[in-house]
Amino acid sequence: MPTHLFRYILFSSIIGMISWACINPIMDFKQIDSTSYMTIEADISDDEALNKIRITSSANRIISQNPLAVSKAEVYVLDQTGLKTIFKEGIVLGTYLPPVGFVGKVGSTYRLFVKTLTGKQYESVEEKMIPAPEIENIVTQFEVRDQYAKVDPRRNGFSVYVDFKDSPREGDFYMWNWRHFEKISVCETCEGGATWNFKTNVCVAPRMPTEDILNYLCNGNCWDISTNNDLNVFSDVLTNGQRISGRQVARVPFDGYSPYYLRLEQRSITKNAFNFYQSLIAQVQSSGSLFDVPAETRFSLNIKPMTDPKERVLGIFNVFSVRKKIYFIDRLKNVPKEEFALITFLTGEIYTCPPGSVNCQDRVPCVESSYRTKITPEGWNL
Amino acid sequence: MIKLLLRVLPIFLLISGSQFSFAQTTTSLPSVYGRVLDAQTGEPLRGADISVDFKKSGVSTDSAGRYRIFLPFGEYVLKVGHVGYNPYRTKFYLKADFELNVQLNDVTKQLEEVIVSSASTKRDIQTPSLGVTVLSLKGIKKLPTMMGEVDVIRSLQTLPGVSSVGEGANGLNIRGSNVDQNLIYIDDTPIFNPTHMFGLFSVFASDAIRDLELYKGGIPTRFGGRSASVLDIKMIEPNTDKFKMQGGIGLVSNRLLAEIPIVKEKLSVMVAGRLSVNDFMFKWFAPNYLKNIRANFSDVATKVFYRPNNKNTISFSSYLSQDYYRVDSLFSIENVIAKRTSFDYGHTNFAIHWNHYFSEKLNLMLSAASTVYKTKTYAPDTVNTIDLNSFIKYKNLSASFDFQPNDKHKMNFGATITRYDIDPGSLNIGVVSRVATVKIQDEQSMEAAIFADDEFKMNDKFTIQYGLRYSQYWRIGAGTFNEYTPNRMPSLNSIVSKKTYADGEVMSSYGGFEPRLTMKYSIGENSTMKFGYNRMQQFFQLLSNNTTPLPTSRWKTADQFIKPQQSDFLSLGLFKTYNENVYEASLETYYRDVRNTLDFISGANLQLNPNIETQLVTGKSKAYGVELMVQKKKGEVSGWVSYTYARAFSQMIGDYPEVQSINGGDWFATNYDKPHTFNMMLNVQPTTHHSFSFTFAYNTGRPFSSPSGMYEIGGKKYPVFQERNNDRIRDYHRLDFSWTINNPSMKSQRWEGSWVFTVYNLYGRQNPYSVFFKSSKIGLRAYELSVFASPFISLTYNFKFL
Repeated sequence: MPTHLFRYILFSSIIGMISWACINPIMDFKQIDSTSYMTIEADISDDEALNKIRITSSANRIISQNPLAVSKAEVYVLDQTGLKTIFKEGIVLGTYLPPVGFVGKVGSTYRLFVKTLTGKQYESVEEKMIPAPEIENIVTQFEVRDQYAKVDPRRNGFSVYVDFKDSPREGDFYMWNWRHFEKISVCETCEGGATWNFKTNVCVAPRMPTEDILNYLCNGNCWDISTNNDLNVFSDVLTNGQRISGRQVARVPFDGYSPYYLRLEQRSITKNAFNFYQSLIAQVQSSGSLFDVPAETRFSLNIKPMTDPKERVLGIFNVFSVRKKIYFIDRLKNVPKEEFALITFLTGEIYTCPPGSVNCQDRVPCVESSYRTKITPEGWNL
Repeated sequence: MIKLLLRVLPIFLLISGSQFSFAQTTTSLPSVYGRVLDAQTGEPLRGADISVDFKKSGVSTDSAGRYRIFLPFGEYVLKVGHVGYNPYRTKFYLKADFELNVQLNDVTKQLEEVIVSSASTKRDIQTPSLGVTVLSLKGIKKLPTMMGEVDVIRSLQTLPGVSSVGEGANGLNIRGSNVDQNLIYIDDTPIFNPTHMFGLFSVFASDAIRDLELYKGGIPTRFGGRSASVLDIKMIEPNTDKFKMQGGIGLVSNRLLAEIPIVKEKLSVMVAGRLSVNDFMFKWFAPNYLKNIRANFSDVATKVFYRPNNKNTISFSSYLSQDYYRVDSLFSIENVIAKRTSFDYGHTNFAIHWNHYFSEKLNLMLSAASTVYKTKTYAPDTVNTIDLNSFIKYKNLSASFDFQPNDKHKMNFGATITRYDIDPGSLNIGVVSRVATVKIQDEQSMEAAIFADDEFKMNDKFTIQYGLRYSQYWRIGAGTFNEYTPNRMPSLNSIVSKKTYADGEVMSSYGGFEPRLTMKYSIGENSTMKFGYNRMQQFFQLLSNNTTPLPTSRWKTADQFIKPQQSDFLSLGLFKTYNENVYEASLETYYRDVRNTLDFISGANLQLNPNIETQLVTGKSKAYGVELMVQKKKGEVSGWVSYTYARAFSQMIGDYPEVQSINGGDWFATNYDKPHTFNMMLNVQPTTHHSFSFTFAYNTGRPFSSPSGMYEIGGKKYPVFQERNNDRIRDYHRLDFSWTINNPSMKSQRWEGSWVFTVYNLYGRQNPYSVFFKSSKIGLRAYELSVFASPFISLTYNFKFL
């Protein structure tokens, strides 16, 4: 057997072994069934900003459709004393907000009541707000994920771990979320030779597109907001009353050298909420292995239909308390010399008013949304 | 090697050569001449065709078997062929008249070497047994393999009615069965996890196996305890006369087998071992994120055979298997923080058999068997140390008699008793860690059975095999059971009290008769029609809601809440052989109905759950199908084609349908429901030194759950599943090729080597294993996971020392 042939076989086998499994998107996926369900996502928390109830009708297609808002519903919660708090529909249709100043109280129990315009009624089971422990310690580590290419932003990053003390009480369930605020100076970018129309607040394309890109500065402070993509829950079933250390709660990209603002939330959630989020993790985050569990949706876990008992309701009545920590990650620390940040540079030009022009505008407003704010983030000191 | 290739490939590929015209009557040319005879009888063969350089010459032998062809000087390949005989080929240089006498072998008298052995054909035609396949290891070794590993489980999947959830899946689905419904024995000791590396390779070291019998139906009464099928694997009996050694070196593992006579014709020992050496590749060649993976397995089989006299034989066999893996993040225990997890699991099986021959009519077999299957999951390198252990201990005593009072009756009867001791899970016992100590209650149970069957040959045409097995099962203490509020679904909230049982006290018991029947009616000398029925009970089930079970999945015995499975199986078969058993065609149909099968409530938590009954849903399943197979068992080209239409459904309503039912209580296709399957195996053996094999497999894609829409939680999108298994993944097909070069030196010597070159998934189809959904900017996107997505080349060196 010639040596080079043996080498070839060995090489191809090793390559084969490493590239055994592959995951491909299905470009022509055809949905064979389509149904919409009432969806209620209700958050009651001891953080005023987090209290809201969103009522929608789920999309019956998996592509390109957003769920339809269910408007003009009667929505309220009752606590254990019978105190009724009415949630009113806000500017965003289908989103119901409590009166200003409403906060949930740790130790209180809450029930949710919903009556739609069509007369359908829904009621939750009673859920108790459990105290959340403080985040005692945050550790960040620069970690390279070799499975991604050098130019892939997922390759280099900072993993964030927390330590905390679980209460001696059995049956604690935790969830972590984070929010990152990135201060921006450019609020809008018009491509293809387009220019910003300051009256209609949109980019207006020219008749003949060009390759010009114009960037417009913000007219005040503005921050982009990003949040965690993955759900992260934990039960103390095997670690009750222990100090929990090294729980990974975030992964921060290495896309710059400036300190990275992170607002970490550690939530104490109920068992029903934990089971619900676990089912979502199994469906979306942990799927795609040889050992998947059956793909199934957990309907009506703690919100029951009262008008038609056979109706299936999606969503969760999530009663939780939260502890927050503002944390700045030093992205210059503990980074190996051979690793560099993948910095995205601004392309195009910054639009400025020609010198001497009168009543000229060259700055655009920072529009409030889930992804952007002009309100200075809590603890911002940069 | 290259020379060999040049000589063999033209024959195989039938490449047409240059134009050649025969100078048939030119006496100035030299000639090749001779006689063609039957190798067995010595009779001359008339009408044998003579081909030169792969072209028909138009010359055939006369009544005396004589031929003569005139050819110009040069080098030629001559082929002599005759219908019903294996062809003969040779290469020679013609410079003068050359006499070449040829003896051809009758195909019908040739020893076959295909997977399904002659014993199976004999059974199909002569005995009433139905759905029983005998597999020859010699044949299995010729099939193309994955990574050069001869694999029993994979080879079985080329047979009709045998499938798995997908490539890399753990276990077999036989005629619509779940993986735990098949009893796998190696020398009468059970195997609870038949694969290494989470499903990639069979646990059975192929060299140590003599043969396999697969009972897809028509299961004799001596077998029981599982509701679908039996795979009975026998180890080879060591040669008592001569020392033999064989082995192999492959990409994945190295093998060695030795048969050592200790006392000539009385006492001998067989030792066979296999050791994987693959994980150095991860260290050397894999990217950093795979460098920490360690994956090793080994198995060792031994057998001591003692024949003190002609009336007694005693054998002791053992089978040990071990797997070890270390992975960075895969399959960690839920709710434990561990960066690196190790897995360790394996079997330790022992059996002793004593056969005593009272007379030609009566013999007794006594056996004692023990199996221990242990699993360990651990993460020792963090403050959150985990050390999770589980085991199944199986002990069995059996006695059976074979009695043949006359030519019309063949009887088998006996008794068997089994004890199970199970540790379903012990976490951190005696370990200092922040992670809690958890002990799931040990389970003990006994299963006893008496059985008898008789094969009664009523006349030349009609034979009936009837039998009865009675199995009794006891779940015994010490132990505790929860008592739940009557008429409420068992849940943590409905536990009202606990009932404790003393050591040895019966906690629950089940029992029942298992009738077995097969009938054979011979339509003609070569055709047979058969009917079979059997009932089976299963007291021991695997609890896993994964697509394919993990090696660490929990086995559970029947108790107050989990009733034993019971199945009824009906089958009908038609068998026909042609041309003195060279060809065999079979048609089998079956229907199977199973009660008390298990599934799991939505969002079930099976990990270390002491109240596992709260997570279970009881239901039923059914399977039916038609299997059609045509085999050519002998000759230069052998193989088979088979087509199977098979369905497998489950219905899970539970005792509390409003909360427990799955799919609204409607029937749904199981994960292994693949309606259409087509398999082809082709083996071409032009010379004793070379053989080429192709296998082709096609089946309908397995079911998956397709979403009916999408909803948003926390601004992220998630699929809505309202029905289970309502769509199918793309169809599966794959072609494999192998080339075996036996004894490349072509010299007769004690050391005989062979090379096996294999390409798995020749045309590199990315067959999907599963479909899943991930959130994207435009909603949800469907993705396919393919396990072996590219052609995989491997080379194995095997040797024999005789």
